Amino acid sequence: MFAALANPIRREILTHLRRGPRKAGDLAGRFDLGRPAVSEHLQVLRKARLVREEPRGRERYYHLDPRPLAQVEKWLAAFARYWQERLGDLQQLLDEEDSK
Amino acid sequence: MKDLGTIRVEHHYSQSPARVWRALTEPSLVARWWAPGDIRAEVGHRFEMDMGPWGKQPCEVLTVEPERLFRYRFAEPTLNTIITWELALEGTGTRLILTHEGFDLDSPLGQRAFTGMKPGWPGILAKIATVLDE
Repeated sequence: MFAALANPIRREILTHLRRGPRKAGDLAGRFDLGRPAVSEHLQVLRKARLVREEPRGRERYYHLDPRPLAQVEKWLAAFARYWQERLGDLQQLLDEEDSK
Repeated sequence: MKDLGTIRVEHHYSQSPARVWRALTEPSLVARWWAPGDIRAEVGHRFEMDMGPWGKQPCEVLTVEPERLFRYRFAEPTLNTIITWELALEGTGTRLILTHEGFDLDSPLGQRAFTGMKPGWPGILAKIATVLDE
């Protein structure tokens, strides 16, 4: 998933999809890329579960799915909290050693 | 979104970089603020950190610059991340910067975080914190 997000064009596609579902063709025009290139990016995003596909008649619309991102942020926030606490414990240890 | 998958935490200590360095690299001291393990500031040294309910996590030292930089691979089979400690003199004390990078949802722990499978990370972290607080 982080690999999917590492690419600047894919991040732009996501930003664009934030405003609402788009057709692959519209995205291709918007980013000045060929359709195959856009399709490839969309497939990467789809595999990372950041985007889902919806067929409407003969067209395919792409939707942003924000849930995985929120999940990742929660996951990383838990680690950040964990380390904040450890660094606090380190402070305590150093202070204890001082008073020995 | 540039630093995705990276955590950075900083702290100022009134003690010198030499003192903080010891607390980061000597097992008897590391065990008192983080976890027990045969950690050593020597490039290539392989060691394990005992993360309590999460199990022993294999690590490997990547970079050592005494009193400045200590970097190791952390928890390769489950999380496969890299931890970097940077120390800098700040006044008469130390500015410590921790960078924990390489978080990947495709890692076993990442998958669990993603699917919400039990036990998820926050639960495990709470348990670790409890064990360490005892």
